[in-house]
Amino acid sequence: MAGGDPPAGLAAMRMIGPVGSYRELGLQDHVCWVHGDCGDYRPRLGEFFRDGLERGLRVAYLGPGNAGELREHLDRFVDTGPRSDRAVRVISFEEFYGAEGPVDPAAVINRYDAATQEALADGYQGLRVSADVTDLVRAPERQDAFARCEVLLERYSSRHPLSAMCGYRRELGDAVTQFACLHAAVLAGLTPFQVFACGDGAVGLLGDFDRACQGAFERALRRIEPAPGDSTLIFDMSQVRFMDHHALLSFDSYAEACPVPVVVRSVPPIVRRAAGVLGLEHLGHLRSGELG
Amino acid sequence: MRTGAPRGQVGHFHEAGFYSSDAEFRALIVPFAEGGIAAGEPVIIGYDDRKNALIRSWLTDPSAVTFPADSGMYATPARAIAAYRRLFELHVAQGAGQIRITGELPNLGSGGIFDGWDRYEAAVNTVWQDFPVWGLCLYDTATAAPVVRDVVERTHPRIVSPSGARRTNDRFQQVADFEALPPIPDPLEQTRPMIELVDRSAAEARWALARIGRGQVTDAILDDLLLGVSEAVSNASIHGHPPATVRIWAAPDRIVISVHDHGRGPADPLAGLVPAAGNAATLGLGLWLIHQLDIDVALKHADDGFTVRLRGGNMIG
Repeated sequence: MAGGDPPAGLAAMRMIGPVGSYRELGLQDHVCWVHGDCGDYRPRLGEFFRDGLERGLRVAYLGPGNAGELREHLDRFVDTGPRSDRAVRVISFEEFYGAEGPVDPAAVINRYDAATQEALADGYQGLRVSADVTDLVRAPERQDAFARCEVLLERYSSRHPLSAMCGYRRELGDAVTQFACLHAAVLAGLTPFQVFACGDGAVGLLGDFDRACQGAFERALRRIEPAPGDSTLIFDMSQVRFMDHHALLSFDSYAEACPVPVVVRSVPPIVRRAAGVLGLEHLGHLRSGELG
Repeated sequence: MRTGAPRGQVGHFHEAGFYSSDAEFRALIVPFAEGGIAAGEPVIIGYDDRKNALIRSWLTDPSAVTFPADSGMYATPARAIAAYRRLFELHVAQGAGQIRITGELPNLGSGGIFDGWDRYEAAVNTVWQDFPVWGLCLYDTATAAPVVRDVVERTHPRIVSPSGARRTNDRFQQVADFEALPPIPDPLEQTRPMIELVDRSAAEARWALARIGRGQVTDAILDDLLLGVSEAVSNASIHGHPPATVRIWAAPDRIVISVHDHGRGPADPLAGLVPAAGNAATLGLGLWLIHQLDIDVALKHADDGFTVRLRGGNMIG
């Protein structure tokens, strides 16, 4: 936990914020693993899967190629011990994300949901997945849809027994941060802020929001939409350390354009102070603690 | 007979007067207030408690004038400008054809506290031009230092005397020509800073300040300083020329910060005193926000660049 008390409604034991390591990941963690190459990713994948199997989870490896190739790939690089094919699944990118073009975020999440429900029905405690998704987001035109997919995956894992470790290679450059900031847990130093899902449906904001990351924050906000049927969109700000006027104005503009009213809760005094001076119109109804 | 601002005056009719006794103060303020009451014009009076009580005792109907309850109205020059602006908007919306205001700047006898108010007196010649305002600024010669008197004479186009005589002030400087007073150096600035950061991010400056300032000043003041240093460092990186240097000094119950870069700083003499129009990200909303906080802000233009100095806590070193 990155400082302070867990945000209201957050699933118990979920890892939130910048972290030093990914050991002891829980049943609902959604982590971003940024790595230099596969030699760096595979040991983490092995730890992640072994830990999941010991917790009674089904684990699934997603990657390019057909099932046979993926199985061979996984067996060669990741020692999951003597496990059955039922416990260790392989899923092709094509099956979950489609063959080409931007992904359909809602369809992807439906597939994750089906796989999670199937694991539960088969007697597992949940589903644990991992993939190096670098090749899926290399094309700029695929990045927005994939980022929206990460937002939905973050929301889903906050409420269901789905844990995921998403691998991104550093060769993506600055593009990595737009995905890293959408995970509940991320290695320290990758992004100054994070957008994560609270267990009660609120969107959590964490970290520092200033001029240096204004563009990244605006881009992250554009990818957040109210859940279908929700009459308000609640942002939990208990984990915000700082927000300057650039970020507040961006946030206010987002609230203005949002199809449902945006409500903020647990606003730190320093953010409330700046918002008060600015007299923000669309975040004017700042609330603290009223919603838990 | 009506004197001062003529009926239908457009813009800010800005006058100053000097007094050396309560009798002279009365001679200046009573005709101003009674004239406003008689004309049905809103009259806003903002002095300290003693003078407000005197004024109440002198007026035939003190309930006809407004004594703003907001004691923080003169907390900073930018907040005074904004607070008065809100009052003007209210009165104009209620149909006022002219609004009379009179007041005095706070703590002029304390030395150093005048810092920044010279820019205020210059700015209000411009920033209230869209309101029908007659402003009478009265200064006590017993507490106004020579430098204050000099600024008053350079910032008020008209001078009124206790006898009622009015004259056009030939020492008046338009805001674009006004030469602001250089900030009085803080004694802490002559000492070695607790930390010096060169070309570092706003986040690093905030982190350093939080570490140094926690416990030295109240949390509220520290928050204001954190907002201030963040905006100043962002401005230096966006508008200034590198290297940008942040220095932080701390003493029991106060913090001093300077953010210096090698650019020329904002050319607008009103920078920070009024919110910028248009694209807020590039036109100085951050500097305006800094000026709205409960901290002392000084802008210094020099040959070697531009400095924003922020002070929080006990201002008297």
